[in-house]
Amino acid sequence: MLKVLVFLPVVGAALLAVLPVRRALPLWQVAMVFALGALGYALWLAGQFDAAGPALQMFESRAWNRRLGSYFALGVDGISLAMVLLTALLSLIAVLMSRRMTEGARLYFVLVLLLESAMFGVFMARDWSLFYVFWEATLLPLFFLIDRLGGPNRQRAALNFFLYTLGGSVFMLVALLFLYDAAPGHSFAMADMAEGGRGLPLNTQLLIFAGFFIGFGVKMPVFPLHGWLPLAHVEAPSPVSILLSGVLLKMGAYGLIRAAETLPAALLATQDWLVVIAFISLLYGGILAWRQQDLKAMVAYSSISHMGIVLLGIATLNVTGLTGAVMQMVAHGLTAGLLFLVVGLLYQRTHSRDLADYGALPGKAPRFAFFTAFGLLAAIGLPGSAGFIAELHALVGGFQRWGGWVLILCLAMLIGAAYSLRVIGRLCLKGEPMDLPDMTRTEAVAAGLLAVCILGLGIWPAPLLELIAGSVDQVARLFGA
Amino acid sequence: MIPLLAKLPEWIWLVPVLPLVAVVINAARVLLGTATGDAAEPLTARLSSLAAFGGLVLLLSIDALALIDGPPGHLRLAHWFGNGNWEATFSFMLDPLSLTLGTLTALIGWLVMRFSANYLHREAGFHRFFIALSFFLAGIQLVLLAGNGLLAFVGWEMCGVSSFLLIGYAWQRPVATGNALFAFVTNRGGDAGFLLALGLAATWLGGFEWTLLAKTAQISVVNDRLLVIGFVIAALAKSAQLPFSAWITKALEGPTPSSAIFYGAVMVHAGVYLLLRLEPLLLQVPDVMFGLVVAGALTAIYAWLCGLVQTDVKSALIFATLFQVSLMFVCIGLGWTTLALVHLCLHAGWRVWQFLVAPSWLVITRQRPPPPPAWLRNNQLLYTAALQRFWLDKLADTLLVQPTESFSRDAHAFEEHFIDHAIGQPGQGKPLHAERPLIVADGLPGRLLGAVSDALQRIEYRLLLRGKGGTAEKLMHRAGAYLRTLENLLEQPRYLMMAVMATFVVIL
Repeated sequence: MLKVLVFLPVVGAALLAVLPVRRALPLWQVAMVFALGALGYALWLAGQFDAAGPALQMFESRAWNRRLGSYFALGVDGISLAMVLLTALLSLIAVLMSRRMTEGARLYFVLVLLLESAMFGVFMARDWSLFYVFWEATLLPLFFLIDRLGGPNRQRAALNFFLYTLGGSVFMLVALLFLYDAAPGHSFAMADMAEGGRGLPLNTQLLIFAGFFIGFGVKMPVFPLHGWLPLAHVEAPSPVSILLSGVLLKMGAYGLIRAAETLPAALLATQDWLVVIAFISLLYGGILAWRQQDLKAMVAYSSISHMGIVLLGIATLNVTGLTGAVMQMVAHGLTAGLLFLVVGLLYQRTHSRDLADYGALPGKAPRFAFFTAFGLLAAIGLPGSAGFIAELHALVGGFQRWGGWVLILCLAMLIGAAYSLRVIGRLCLKGEPMDLPDMTRTEAVAAGLLAVCILGLGIWPAPLLELIAGSVDQVARLFGA
Repeated sequence: MIPLLAKLPEWIWLVPVLPLVAVVINAARVLLGTATGDAAEPLTARLSSLAAFGGLVLLLSIDALALIDGPPGHLRLAHWFGNGNWEATFSFMLDPLSLTLGTLTALIGWLVMRFSANYLHREAGFHRFFIALSFFLAGIQLVLLAGNGLLAFVGWEMCGVSSFLLIGYAWQRPVATGNALFAFVTNRGGDAGFLLALGLAATWLGGFEWTLLAKTAQISVVNDRLLVIGFVIAALAKSAQLPFSAWITKALEGPTPSSAIFYGAVMVHAGVYLLLRLEPLLLQVPDVMFGLVVAGALTAIYAWLCGLVQTDVKSALIFATLFQVSLMFVCIGLGWTTLALVHLCLHAGWRVWQFLVAPSWLVITRQRPPPPPAWLRNNQLLYTAALQRFWLDKLADTLLVQPTESFSRDAHAFEEHFIDHAIGQPGQGKPLHAERPLIVADGLPGRLLGAVSDALQRIEYRLLLRGKGGTAEKLMHRAGAYLRTLENLLEQPRYLMMAVMATFVVIL
């Protein structure tokens, strides 16, 4: 069942690669069909998922390499299903907003669909070797997307991104092999490895966890492993920025949760260190975002800050905090997606990312003004947006564990409000008007879709909370919470 | 019918609430702009006097019940707020003292309302006057009928506010607003005493109920004295006894009916009521009672002397009032509380009439006021002192009003010149860097944020592998240069041979 979802975009990519058309529009239509199909299928899967049932569902496994003990095993629990839905939605947005693309359209759509398939694979793999393969498979389309279609510094950014993440992946691979070697049974299946990992002595667990953390931390990213992010986000074409910050960063956090399941003793021992890193990321990203006059760089740095909340939630190791982390993964995916979408479209029209080159939008471009303000306010975590629910959970969970220290989160939020309101003040309030063609209908639909999701989850988060409750409980139970 | 009537005391809350309803309705009419012109006046006046009359009828019925069945006493209607070891309630006290004074006040209030309807006809602030007067009526009834100190304090403050509003009735005149401010500031001194006493009562007795305060045997005499002193300060300030006397002569700026009800009949007696209410507490501390006698006697002499030299009706009346009130204080100090209560009621009734006819006094008497007695005229010093009202208002002005004003001026200057700059103001930010004109910051937090962001940006450049001249990049370039040199060397035959031989050596 899940195989279909993984390979559906690949089929689309193959079809697009050989489609004998010159113009970009038919390519876009085909890509849309497949993106919509993937989203529909993912929604259908979510309908099949029984939130009250066992954590892991729709599990299917086939031996891949018997001698090594690796399996082609797919399965979803609440957390991965939430991520799969997010991936499908943001991929659709990335395709949808590229309607006007003319140059390199074929390459772009093929790569985006391949990327989507690899991301699905990462979130559904139940075998660490398969996970690693999909993990690396996301790199190639991304590298070419940035390198071929990016901004003026694209080659430098692509190389930077590739080196950083590959460097991180190497640590992850070494940790995986270590774990494979240390755990009895010699199997890469996640369940087997988790069982073996839990039995390991603390020192071994810590060593393995360090490798995992470097691998996932680069992707997430956390301070000081975030070096690739600002450049890559700024230089990548905007739809790719959406996928980068919306989904790719979540892979790191998702992997960290899986690692937590495997090495609980190491997590408990490093809990306090993780939260220190989370707080540093929060402030570091926030302050640097505040300093940027470049809109895209600002959103990129704010991603670091917001992923700090995810790490904070994971570090609490209790139900509330973990729920907050998963909520924040979804919420940040949606809000960062919306922000990159708006900023990308603005860049498309003005070819400038400098805030100083912009004026007041409401007169000529009311849709732009609305979605800019909406996205920025949602990014602050205003009540009524999904981010609020997530931050509240992380805050409550963190308070149970560290008390008043979570005030740092509030400080970061305050800084976030400072830079967000600066942009709102410049773009969305009265001032020197700016002549700019407004969003087309397709673009407004894409932005509206994200806005509706943000608002829906902010006002009625119960469905998502129910979806992830079982899996989060299972993780938290390992830590006696 | 009888069971219904027996429930009547539970509706006592209507007495202060009815005037408040009138206030709300009239204020809404003013705000909506429907209360303008002659046509709107009767409705305002009728609503206000109806509210006052309703309270009077209710109180009279309760009085009748009390005469038959005995007074209902302390009534606890609802919980207000509170936690742990103390609680504030909505409670009312319906004993002979409260009922007597409440009924008398309701009667005076109703009559003054009726009187004012004609007296203030076509005045600019007609509606404003009735709103303030109704507000006052609600406040004073709350003081008199409340079953606990906190609720009474709410009424006490309402009286203070409406007094302020009515003294400043003619706000166009600087004298009126200045006097209103003076009276308000002086009264705040008394309020501080009231609040202190309430706080102490909450701490030591766990509540504000008058019944609870009467049982002071449980606390030591020292504590009791502190508690009583707080209330006594409040009473002295409200009843304009020395050393707070100066404000009351300035308070006559308001329209005559308000002077009548405030300073002639009702509010000036609020202090006396408070002391009568606290009689059981007072009896524990004879030294404070002695202090009351002294304050009362001194005020009496002061009011008598000043009264002798007054040339206008209202001033003469107010000093006469002050004289009588100070006699009541003396009575309370000596323990003759019943006498004080009777004195209060009679004096209130008499004085309200006198004040109300004050504007027509000259028409009634048609005589020159008698000159000050000869002995006073001959004693130069005393005569001057009496004429100058013993310089009390100048003293109070220097000691109370001016320091308050200059303190607020200083606080404002402090905020303007220091706090605003320290915290930063919106729209005042200065760019941190020339190339980023929109990244602005102001105030200490803003500068701090700017400095931190600069430091972090430097770190960030170091972390970037291939950023804008990142250090990591330079290091890699240098490492690359070394490696290239090494490679060049290895390419030369002699070193290649050496490397091969070294490999052989290792293998062998």
